[in-house]
Amino acid sequence: MTITAIRMLPWALVTLLVLGAGAGPAWAHHRPNNEVLIGGAISMTGQYAEPAGRNVNSIKLWVDDVNARGGLLGHKIVLRLLDDKSDTQTAIKLYEKLITDDKVDLVLCPYSSGITEAVSNVTERYKMPLVAYGASASTIWEKGRRYIFNIVAVAEDFQKGAVHLARQIGVKRIAVIGQDSLFPRQSGKGVKDWAKKLGLEVVLDENYPPKQTDFTALLEKIKAAGAEAIFSNSYFADAAAQLRQMRELNLNFKLFSSTVGPALPNFPEQLGATADYILGFSLWEPLPAVLGYTGMKEFIERYEKRYGEKPNYHAGAAYGALQVTEAAVRKAGGFDSEKLRDAMATIDVQTIFGHYKVDARGMNSHEGITFQILRGQRRVVWPEKWAETKAELPMPEWSKR
Amino acid sequence: MERSEVRRLYLLAAFLVCAYALPFVVGAWAGTVRFDERWLANLATVVIAGVMQGGVYAMFAVGLTLIFGVMRIINAAHGEMVMLGAYLTWVCFFYLGVDPLLSIVLTLPVAFLFGLAMQKLLLDAVVGQPELTGLLITFGLGLVMIYTVELVFTTDFRTIPYAPGTVQLTSTIAVGQNRVISFVMALVITAAVYVFLQQSRLGKAVRATAVNAEVAMVCGINVRRVYLLTTGLAVALAAAGGALVSIQFGFNPETGVVYTLQAFAIIILGGRGNYVGALIGGLMLAVLENLVSLMVPNGTAMVELASYGLMIFVLLIRPAGLMGLRED
Repeated sequence: MTITAIRMLPWALVTLLVLGAGAGPAWAHHRPNNEVLIGGAISMTGQYAEPAGRNVNSIKLWVDDVNARGGLLGHKIVLRLLDDKSDTQTAIKLYEKLITDDKVDLVLCPYSSGITEAVSNVTERYKMPLVAYGASASTIWEKGRRYIFNIVAVAEDFQKGAVHLARQIGVKRIAVIGQDSLFPRQSGKGVKDWAKKLGLEVVLDENYPPKQTDFTALLEKIKAAGAEAIFSNSYFADAAAQLRQMRELNLNFKLFSSTVGPALPNFPEQLGATADYILGFSLWEPLPAVLGYTGMKEFIERYEKRYGEKPNYHAGAAYGALQVTEAAVRKAGGFDSEKLRDAMATIDVQTIFGHYKVDARGMNSHEGITFQILRGQRRVVWPEKWAETKAELPMPEWSKR
Repeated sequence: MERSEVRRLYLLAAFLVCAYALPFVVGAWAGTVRFDERWLANLATVVIAGVMQGGVYAMFAVGLTLIFGVMRIINAAHGEMVMLGAYLTWVCFFYLGVDPLLSIVLTLPVAFLFGLAMQKLLLDAVVGQPELTGLLITFGLGLVMIYTVELVFTTDFRTIPYAPGTVQLTSTIAVGQNRVISFVMALVITAAVYVFLQQSRLGKAVRATAVNAEVAMVCGINVRRVYLLTTGLAVALAAAGGALVSIQFGFNPETGVVYTLQAFAIIILGGRGNYVGALIGGLMLAVLENLVSLMVPNGTAMVELASYGLMIFVLLIRPAGLMGLRED
């Protein structure tokens, strides 16, 4: 190290300290042209590109909607969206950059529980409040974080409706299976909690590795344990394989419910009649006549016109979270992070995604819907107030279809 | 046979007996093994399912072992070839309305041509180079294939609803129609390739090249042509495996990796470059996984532990694999 460098060292330290202290609350920026900068990093490529892409669609739509209305508190919104490549480390770096370098006034949320959890450490440090729309693992809100809020339902409630339906048809013994990773484990925990509350007995509880394709032994074991219903905390490939193998082995259950797989648009089409009568879960569906949320119909029309497809729940959640952010900014009367944080924590808003009012942890009690695939169509069957049709349960035996 | 070798074989046999007895012992201890009629039917069902699955795995493992045996190249893109076969079959089914079994007639020649192109453009350049070179170039090819397929078909999962029904063997033992079809197809195709390698002139040339490429060349065998044929066959086998995967499981562009790993485990267990070894390895892994899943409490979470554990211990006792030749 040269002498100059050594001499510079204290100054560098002082500069760092000043910067560190300055990085506390978000400051009111004096941007040219009366603009406000909103930024975020989200997965535009990589494994989360498909769901996160729907988030991005809604973000862009919201920005244009607000600007058309004359902006946020009169400021025109400038959007800075970066790509985290579905990678946690990249996301952390990009949020650091957005907050310290670009000095954004508001931050947007990334996609997935894992990335959101990592990024929330950064946003906490700089005291940047945000409403998450792509994370449902409740663990994020159980660590005393103050600046992150959630709009979607927690993973533990994904199978709530299915467990209630199981009890309605007199099921007493159930099996809980799921992929061995964070989200399925959380939703599996939810099934067990609800089963306990409703007096159902869990006779088998087992996880399988993510690459598992053959479920013959597991299914035989479930049958041998005397389970009448299967609660599978699964994605597409595993849910599809379980269902097909049930049929191949001629194993009949009264109810089969899966967390994610059946909600994917092409599940019924790819599986054909085998997918009929199973239960699935969705946080939101573009069904204004059923859900009846404020402004929902207009949102669906605008979205469909712009993107050529109906919005799914990823799109709905992102738009809803931004409506909350907008309302919070208006309530706070500016971009001061403490005032904004308090507004997000106390505000009570109706969005196109549903009601937003968080508890002390920052979590919203959003209510999702349970649907049943009937003759290739998804039909809402729970909660009762939204049911399009009565659930056709128990599932008919394979030989009688 | 040397005495030490005989001793090792006994050791191997003893180990295998223990490995397959272990799930029964754990199951008996945990009370999941009951030896009543219902339980025996379950056992029969999972063993049959394991054999069926193992047969299909063996088919694409054979393709991997073929390329390795002849050219000493580890094809890291093998699973992607399986994935490609699955997509070809899917396109034939959903867009052209062709029966998945019939479409094999279409997909195999396409896959064979793809293999020829791959040999000409990529593998010819790396034959005889250190093994890492071939591994890297095929790894790169695999990535290109994944992202190309993603661009065309997106990351959505696909599957084909074909022969979803059941075959009731007895009143309590059942097996899926698509499983039986896949297993029979896999056996027929694998056997056909085996007979071709054993009996035909060209097949003998392939085997001669595998034993020693230089000597084969001296004997007047066109080694370059043998390489072409080998890769074409291997890719066709993988694509046929893909067709059978598509009627049993869901797949997306990234699922190929799973099949590469599976095929690797099988040929390492069975013996690199050994044809029959791949078949035995495939059956052994699939049956063991099913036994563990059925009898061990929370066993399904441990199937990977069981299969890779089996692989490691077999390699410790017999480094060249079950049917592998000694390397000296």
